[in-house]
Amino acid sequence: MTKTILTTQDVHKIYGEKTEKPYEALKGISFSVEEGEFVGIMGASGSGKTTLLNILATLDQPTSGQVAIDGKDVTKLRPNQMADFRSQKLGFIFQDFNLVETLTARENIALPLSLQNAKPKAIKVAVELAAKKVNIEDIIDKFPNQLSGGQKQRVAAARALVAEPSIIFGDEPTGALDSNNAREMMDALTDINSQGVSILLVTHDPFSASFCKRIMFIKDGKIGDEISAEGKSRQDFYQEILNRLGTFEQ
Amino acid sequence: MLLKLSLSGIRSRFKDYLVLFSGLIMSSAIFYMFESIAVNKEFVTSTSVGSIARYVFMLGAILLGIITLVYVSYANTFLLTMRKHDYGLFMMLGARPRKIGLLIGLETIMIGMISTVIGIVLGAGITQLISGFMFDTLALPKNNFSAIYGPAILYTLIFFAVLFVLSGFLNNHTFTKSSALDLLKSEQNTDWKQPSKLSLTIQGILGLILLGVGYSVMFRINDLQMVGIGIALVTIVLGTYFLFRSLFVALLDSIQHTAMAQKGLGSFTISQLKFRINDFTKILTVVSLLFALALGAITVGVGFKNLIPQMATANDYYTLAITNPTAKEKQLVNKLDGKTVRTYDIRSGQTGNYLNAAQFEEHPFYYPKRVKDTNKGIQVKVNDKKQSYSYKIRKASITDMNKRGSEANQRLASLFDAKDQAKQMKIVSSSTFAQLGGEKKQIMMVRVKDMAANNTVLNKINTIQQKAAGKMGVVGGAYTMYVLMNGIFGSFEFMGIFLGIAFLAMLASCLMFKILSGTSVDAKRYAMLNKIGTRRSVMKGSIRTQIFGLFALPAILGLIDVVFGLQMFVSAQLLTDPYPVFYVSALVFVILYLVYYAVTVAIYNNFVVPKTKIEK
Repeated sequence: MTKTILTTQDVHKIYGEKTEKPYEALKGISFSVEEGEFVGIMGASGSGKTTLLNILATLDQPTSGQVAIDGKDVTKLRPNQMADFRSQKLGFIFQDFNLVETLTARENIALPLSLQNAKPKAIKVAVELAAKKVNIEDIIDKFPNQLSGGQKQRVAAARALVAEPSIIFGDEPTGALDSNNAREMMDALTDINSQGVSILLVTHDPFSASFCKRIMFIKDGKIGDEISAEGKSRQDFYQEILNRLGTFEQ
Repeated sequence: MLLKLSLSGIRSRFKDYLVLFSGLIMSSAIFYMFESIAVNKEFVTSTSVGSIARYVFMLGAILLGIITLVYVSYANTFLLTMRKHDYGLFMMLGARPRKIGLLIGLETIMIGMISTVIGIVLGAGITQLISGFMFDTLALPKNNFSAIYGPAILYTLIFFAVLFVLSGFLNNHTFTKSSALDLLKSEQNTDWKQPSKLSLTIQGILGLILLGVGYSVMFRINDLQMVGIGIALVTIVLGTYFLFRSLFVALLDSIQHTAMAQKGLGSFTISQLKFRINDFTKILTVVSLLFALALGAITVGVGFKNLIPQMATANDYYTLAITNPTAKEKQLVNKLDGKTVRTYDIRSGQTGNYLNAAQFEEHPFYYPKRVKDTNKGIQVKVNDKKQSYSYKIRKASITDMNKRGSEANQRLASLFDAKDQAKQMKIVSSSTFAQLGGEKKQIMMVRVKDMAANNTVLNKINTIQQKAAGKMGVVGGAYTMYVLMNGIFGSFEFMGIFLGIAFLAMLASCLMFKILSGTSVDAKRYAMLNKIGTRRSVMKGSIRTQIFGLFALPAILGLIDVVFGLQMFVSAQLLTDPYPVFYVSALVFVILYLVYYAVTVAIYNNFVVPKTKIEK
């Protein structure tokens, strides 16, 4: 039996609740992610994707409802506990890489571990392991401005991996990449996922989404539809996503 | 429409502009204060001291003008980085470059003029507040001085108007040259490169050598004179620049690879600082030199002031001499603390003044005698040969005093009333003295240990004497010199303090603007750190360290500059022991500087540290 990594229970988020025009961005979201899953969340701009991701990533808190990651209710955490939780349990990959230009790839990858005050020796081992998982051992001592977009994003992926998080969140990770680099990146993520790491991807790009095992569609703050890649080739799944998007957005 | 745009631009960023305003207001306030003293005709012409003080304050205003120029250019760069995106947007929407140029010029001038007007009001206020204290110290009459003075207001307005029109043009120029896309994306460019070890080493060594040359030149200023000042200026400026480019980067590099730096945000903090120093080389150099200048101005200013009693008594052993003291004068003399009083009888004839030898034997006359002194002392060129002299207090012998033109003779004569000074002076035996006819006079010589403490009473006696001597009369004694020097060095002191504070305010604001102009780029980094789980306290700690590094490095270098720079004044015999003053002023300075540091950290945090959302 697999373990549940993430569950959300009737999550609501209302902005400007006390003003005359409150805006409800999320209207009761419930779903769960099992260990080792590769889940995509798709939706148009303004559908509530980013709000949901921020709440899942403990950067924001829901107005009501519950979010549990690795068995822990993250909606009750205090700011410092939230920060510690992120550094220990969550990994992030952003659209625009977000690497520190003045640190080498190695130092960038090491950041989450040094934040936890890990021992230098342990950091070295973990960084090299993470670099190996995304195939960047040969560029690890270069600075970000010496790397291509795809390489930068793989450094970012290694940084997300290095602290052995329970789940990795990807926020449009291929948004700033050309098609070749995007494919490489998604292959790398698939590879990471096959080693048992759970991944939750937020995207509006059907191509990236076609690498996921399961996709939830979000519209106007609610999850409207869900499809699974089980038993389908990636091409077929891609077609299905395109079809769904066509009907779903109507 | 244009005016509306630029006004709303300023309003929307008012909090950021506030920092800019405060710096500009400060500089125009101090500029006005200097001007109100320097150009005030009634005040300047009313006393001899006033006319000397005037030049000192004019010099101060010029120095301040130069430094304001630098400051305004930095402030403008900051202003522009804040508005770059807006301007780019306007251009995207089809505004003509000329229009944007006009908008920028308008904004610059508007900000400049608003802050100048507020600065003048503030300056008048400060002048009113401190003028009382200052005039007492300089022993000047207050009735001719008013804090609000038309011409001073005019000059200040003109000066700052020219300054801002100039920088308005400059801003206009830089902007109309860049394209809309450049402006919109300007913040995304980082041209950071890891510098090579070899060039770091070469620059570091070069920097140290240059600084070493500069410092040693200041030690030997007596031999090198003006050339030395030139050499020191060039070598110290270049040396500081290279040091920031290299040595500090190398140092940080080596710290970065220690185990300590691997903890928390250690490596991030160090790399940020490294990046910053690279980017900040020029401003850090300027800040370090300004810091040195400011601190130097205060120390030297106060140091000169402390020298006054010493220098005044170098010329005369006696504080003052009164011929035929009246009852009122005697009463005043009685009020003096720590005094020695000598009274000699005089028989004043047509051709000469005669004094009684017996009185000199009982109470000898002392005077400062010029003696050769190879180690210390004032250097004088005699027949193209440099010789050192200093003054030592000596007892005058009667033979010496009777030798016309001898130092002892001249010193004694200088204490007489003006009309008696030209006459021959002779000391005769008491039997001869008793038989002499002529007018019977008395000269009372007073010496006090502490002129500053007795200033009020001394001033009263001096006023009576000045009145009696008339316009052309010169009153002898150390106190006359003391009053004169108080005028010069007292104004030096005030100028030093104000200039120092103005410099400090401007350099710290320059640094602050430079640091704050990077916030939009840095905000992204901190947003990322927040997402990967960095506590706010850890981020704030890292920011504190980074900004501290940027504030502390130039300050430390500046302090070292001053320590060596003061040596220049010591070698040139202008100051004897300036270091006690230096410690105090350095302390005050560092405290003020730390306030700036705290403000910068607070503003920076506000810009870059992500807020934790807990709104539900």
